[in-house]
Amino acid sequence: MVSVATPADSQPQPRRRVSGTVVVLWVLGMLVVVAWAAPFVWMVSTSVKWPGDIMTRDIEWLPRRVTSENYAKVFAQPVLRWLVNSLIVATVATAFSLLSGAMTGYAFARLHFPGRGVLFFLVLATLMIPSEMTIVPLFIGFLRADLVNNYAAFILPSVASVFGVYLFRQFFLSLPRELEDAARVDGAGRFRIFFSIALPLARPAVIAAAILLFTTNWNAFLWPLLVAFTEEMKTLPVGMATFAPGVGGQTQLQSFGPAMAAMTILTLPSLLVFLVLQRYFIEGVISAGIKG
Amino acid sequence: MSEATLQRPRPVALARLRHATWQGERIDWSAYLFILPFFLPFLLFTLIAVGFGAYVSFTEWGVIGDPTWTGLDNFRRALADPFVPKVWANTLKYGLIVVPATTIVALAFALFVNQRWWGATLARTVFYAPNVVAVTVIGLVWVWLLDTRFGLVNQYLGYLGIPNVPWLTNPAWVLFGIALASIWWDAGFSMVIFLAGLQDIPKELREAAQVDGASRFQVLRHIVLPLLRPAMSLVITLLIIGTLRVFSQIYIMTNGGPANASASVIIYIYRIGFRDFDLGYAAALSLMLFATILIVTVVEMRLLRVQRW
Repeated sequence: MVSVATPADSQPQPRRRVSGTVVVLWVLGMLVVVAWAAPFVWMVSTSVKWPGDIMTRDIEWLPRRVTSENYAKVFAQPVLRWLVNSLIVATVATAFSLLSGAMTGYAFARLHFPGRGVLFFLVLATLMIPSEMTIVPLFIGFLRADLVNNYAAFILPSVASVFGVYLFRQFFLSLPRELEDAARVDGAGRFRIFFSIALPLARPAVIAAAILLFTTNWNAFLWPLLVAFTEEMKTLPVGMATFAPGVGGQTQLQSFGPAMAAMTILTLPSLLVFLVLQRYFIEGVISAGIKG
Repeated sequence: MSEATLQRPRPVALARLRHATWQGERIDWSAYLFILPFFLPFLLFTLIAVGFGAYVSFTEWGVIGDPTWTGLDNFRRALADPFVPKVWANTLKYGLIVVPATTIVALAFALFVNQRWWGATLARTVFYAPNVVAVTVIGLVWVWLLDTRFGLVNQYLGYLGIPNVPWLTNPAWVLFGIALASIWWDAGFSMVIFLAGLQDIPKELREAAQVDGASRFQVLRHIVLPLLRPAMSLVITLLIIGTLRVFSQIYIMTNGGPANASASVIIYIYRIGFRDFDLGYAAALSLMLFATILIVTVVEMRLLRVQRW
């Protein structure tokens, strides 16, 4: 974390004078911070406004009158069902890809076997392939296998995460192997070593990968849009898109209240998780893609 | 793998296998079990899917019936299709807006939150926050923010005396409108990559330069930016791949309109494949998009390698 310098910094350093440039840059930066947060505030503000108060000549950040009518409109749709769908899909997909990613990453980092280099290169190479390229054939395959409009259809394509493999390989490469070697001398098998020693030590990587994979799965859009055929099988992001005033052409201004209520509901879970675990989020991104 | 079952049939051969070496070290046969849970779905849903997709692009295929081999027909059709240059141009134009803008914004953000100034942690949180939110939110909130008459953006621009900008309703502006939403969504992620790069720069280097009397700007120009090149290259590569694949924001915000001015390649593939169910042609277009991404990425990597700061 970036530590915030306090006036009472313990180390006796020569106090640097705060220059004019620094003040100007700081003020500018903070203005951008406010602007960056503004869409969220505006979204929540709009979501509790009465329809008549949404379009005003002057900007009203604070609603003059508050209503829950917009939220009532949103909950007239099967929102709770969508929420449950999203939770099931994202949780199962994340759990699977975590386990497969950790095991495969461990094998690439620690175990010695013919084909290791080739297979790892193959995994990395697919990072270049846009998932859209597989989406037509996957859709056909799933349609033919009658694997549409159910949870398996949502989950299966995301149980193998190349990103997860990469992240865990990097982590295990940087982990000292003494503990594992000691266990090996004591006669423990590879699987015992992995599950009782290596995996517990990989807790930071597991948390980082879990958060990142969960967000990805939670926010997935194109694939769930394709394989959900009925209202009650939609995931939350796909279902909530029905509140879009833009889709279908003409913007219907009346619908911004319910739309922003729906977006507030959709935003809160991910934003809360992020705020609580943000250290792991950002460090996870840093350790994953970059130090390779 | 239990040893009892392994050793029963042919003890000698199996013992040899167990002690087999490769490149001078004993082979960990269990490794193949370790990688199985990943490689089975990876093989099915990625490798085979890619191969199958490549095959389908040489066929004509609706959802019903079997694909019929038509050779290069789909690609010939793409060359004659007036929409193809249109959607490719839209996508490249969108990339030319979003990639440089996001890179600059993200770099500025990273430099800002990397300072030990009051509020830096808060700034980092706020800048990254849009990245964790579902694309539906990004799209819908920005449709509202960019509304021509009552949107927040135009209201504030109005205070500055700037007339209403038809962000999402005018073909000339629509890509800029969508770009605004995308930059807000994505800059935080690129910022973190830059941050990782900044934290890898040894403090001593900067301090030494400052002792030698270099200004803040000179340190940035001659020390920080050159050392950020790997991060810069990664950011730009990821942004190029991401922008050429743009779909969800557009689908939600404009669905390709007005007058197809924001129809990206994947919006078009989606229409062909999943609205008209012309799967062969859609697969061919996907293959062409993949080739485009590959070419642009390779060119970009070459350019960045020889470029001097």
